Amino acid sequence: MTKNRIQRSALILAFAASTLALSACQNLSSPTVRFDRQVNYGDAKAVELVTNEFGSTDLQMIAEKMTGGLLETGIFQGRPTVTISTVKNKTSEYIDTTNVMSSIQTALVKSGKVRFVRSINEMQQGVDELQRQNQSGLYKQGTTAKVGQMTAAKYTMEGELTSIVKQNNSTKDVYYKFTLKLFDVQEGTIEWQDEKEIRKTSKR
Amino acid sequence: MRNRFTLAAAPALVCAALITLTSSASAQQHDPATPLAVASKVALRGEANGIAVREMRIVRKNDILVVQADMANMGRTDRTVFYRFKWLDNVGNQVGDGESWKQLSVLGLGQQTVKSVAPTGAAVDLRLEMNVER
Repeated sequence: MTKNRIQRSALILAFAASTLALSACQNLSSPTVRFDRQVNYGDAKAVELVTNEFGSTDLQMIAEKMTGGLLETGIFQGRPTVTISTVKNKTSEYIDTTNVMSSIQTALVKSGKVRFVRSINEMQQGVDELQRQNQSGLYKQGTTAKVGQMTAAKYTMEGELTSIVKQNNSTKDVYYKFTLKLFDVQEGTIEWQDEKEIRKTSKR
Repeated sequence: MRNRFTLAAAPALVCAALITLTSSASAQQHDPATPLAVASKVALRGEANGIAVREMRIVRKNDILVVQADMANMGRTDRTVFYRFKWLDNVGNQVGDGESWKQLSVLGLGQQTVKSVAPTGAAVDLRLEMNVER
């Protein structure tokens, strides 16, 4: 009688343990709203190898190399002012090269080692705001930003992206080269220059 | 009765085995050629597959930490390494948004040097995150 009872309790225990284990292995639902199409968020910093056209990893690698090179040299001692000039795209692809410069600028601003002033493309908005404050008659005197007080850039940054593409029946090889120059505006001299080379090869 | 007991306990055993397998797969197995001091700075995902970080040089240049690491392929087969540096401040918090992952091909018996520069002067320590494709 007691033997039977022990066996029964052992069976119940084993069932309970297996149920617990199974529920632990089961997938829980996630807080998502999704329909038929499979869409997922991925790692924005992951190596992107979809095609060998210019991609996010290329942009990130270029920005990191250029930022690292600039910070390492110590050219930014005393937090000088810098502005962004042109970025030429000399490749056969459509590439938003301002995006590369934007990433470099973000990293440099976050480093706290340099001050950026408005670039040519950003100047109109600055002028409009100054005019609104000084000419609209809407603002209290003494609170408006004064005209003629902007700080000029000591350095200007110029970049270019080039590519060499070679392909045969089975292989496509793309070589990218991004060159960045830092000019002293007053002197017109190149104070720093670096380049990042990238080779991407795809096979059919 | 014993059969029933075994059947009921089987899923529990499978689950336990799975958990053990997963935890052992995530353990770091550095190549023996990686010095202990360097290994402490390397966060390896999975197995090293013959890739050793033989040397790591860290220097502060103009208030910014600069690191170079030598990755050596101890085998004759070419390996693909995915890596990135993670910069840490004086309390161990990550500095900046984190670097992008990079792909590096290390030829059989070859060596490659990778380099990185800290994003700000606040970085005082680093980890080299890497995984090696077989």
